[in-house]
Amino acid sequence: MAKILVVDDEEHIRLLYSEELREEGYDVITAEGGYRLLERIEKERPDLVVLDIKMVDYDGLDLLQDIRNKFYDLPVILSTAYDTFKEDMKSIAADFYVVKSFDLSELKRKIKMALEARTSA
Amino acid sequence: MFGRSEAVKKSSKLAYEENPEKVERAEVVVGISSCDSAAFIGHTAEQAAKGLVDYFGSKNSVLINVDSDSGDRTKEIFLGTTTRVPKVYLCTPAGIKGRGHKLINLVNKAAELKAEAVIVVDAASKSITPLWIKNLGEPIFSGFSFVTPLYLRHKYEGILTSGIVYPLTRVLYGRRVRQPNGGDLAFGMALAETYLRHPTADEKSIQQAGVDVWMTTMAINQGVPICQSYVGRPKMQGSPDGVMPQISAFVDVVGTVFDLMGFFQERWKKVRWSKPTAVFGFGMGEPDAPPPLEVSEADLYRVFLQGFSQYQSLWESLLDNKTFSKLTEIKHLPVAHFSFPSELWARIVFRYTVAHRNRVTDRQSLLESLLPIFHGKSLSFVKKTERMSVQQAEEYIENECMIFEEMKSYLVADWQENQ
Repeated sequence: MAKILVVDDEEHIRLLYSEELREEGYDVITAEGGYRLLERIEKERPDLVVLDIKMVDYDGLDLLQDIRNKFYDLPVILSTAYDTFKEDMKSIAADFYVVKSFDLSELKRKIKMALEARTSA
Repeated sequence: MFGRSEAVKKSSKLAYEENPEKVERAEVVVGISSCDSAAFIGHTAEQAAKGLVDYFGSKNSVLINVDSDSGDRTKEIFLGTTTRVPKVYLCTPAGIKGRGHKLINLVNKAAELKAEAVIVVDAASKSITPLWIKNLGEPIFSGFSFVTPLYLRHKYEGILTSGIVYPLTRVLYGRRVRQPNGGDLAFGMALAETYLRHPTADEKSIQQAGVDVWMTTMAINQGVPICQSYVGRPKMQGSPDGVMPQISAFVDVVGTVFDLMGFFQERWKKVRWSKPTAVFGFGMGEPDAPPPLEVSEADLYRVFLQGFSQYQSLWESLLDNKTFSKLTEIKHLPVAHFSFPSELWARIVFRYTVAHRNRVTDRQSLLESLLPIFHGKSLSFVKKTERMSVQQAEEYIENECMIFEEMKSYLVADWQENQ
């Protein structure tokens, strides 16, 4: 069972993602921000991270850089309410991005693709 | 570190070396590739030397000009440029041109100097700054083995890369390296042995313009950590070649990607989807806008249509009926409404890779026959992105790559069925 870490400062998003992804058979853990995120990843060893871009105290794109530098091959999916993040070239270090929605079918599809990419090469 | 082997000597095309300061060891090597670059090399050498002093000042370093028999004063200007870093000049034998020869000379010399990192820049990169040297070289000392550049380019510059080399490399090997054919790069010496000993190193197209995508593909398939490094300002070549690649460059670069597919087929057939690559070098401030670039839609259209007079029978024999008939439909579209579907382009490229592997006709003619279709695809790209920003055009290219990835099963099946 793949383990997914959902990082989002909005509690209802963490709850929604956790519930739906558990129904898909994933083991889900959550974090409400970037505080000690790298230590958490080191300890919990998730197979994939779903990362909010705009959090109150943290910039998701900076966190993405930190994750990519330390965990070279860990898939990261950016989750965003805005399209403007694409103007920032840092975003290309993400595996995929999804626009936040109550319909998680796109997120689920991207998670499947990212996990397949990780194991196929 | 490895010793110089027979394979190393075999690959070398060095005729002449000038090492006035008798450099015998260097931890960091900056290689400046040149050919008739007298107008640019002084500036490039100054910037590169400053980068070495400012950012790698605690290490022994050297500038090496790897030249291919320049007929102008490239050597004199390079060696005469005042720098705080010693300089070495290497040159291929008379009449031997080709970027691949120069880079192999560089790798040989770097191995002899027991270098840890090699940074390669082009003498004609007028926009080079010392930060380029930092951003290309620093990842090598942070655990990465191969570094490719990330440029803020005009959306129509590097169209060979964005239209075929990037999507195909990405779909094959599952790594998103945006500039696999970038020209400015860096590598650690662990990869040098691969470059010097690999059985494909003596291929003609690799000794020419195919060398950059070959080095990137080798690094990806070695499984070493790869990084893309942001070098900020737009790359401005000393002698712009226009939007479309020259035939020889197209044949060398695309031919190299096709050649390597045979060599790495057991690996790429298993790859599903792609993964991003780490990015280094942000925080350089706001980049300048790319310089304007004119593109002639009429010329792209004309070359596309001419392709039908020259290659129609070959295309008909290569492509399946549905693909060929769709291509023929496009022929009748006026420029104003011209559109080349990405799915069709992917299907044609995949078919060509199989035809190339099967040697259905001579290699040169086959690759040349793809170029008019590529012009048609490029015209469609220009039209679809004409009102887009650079970033929006990048997003468009990313979507095209996803189409290649979604259609990969077609490639794998065709490759296996038509052995």
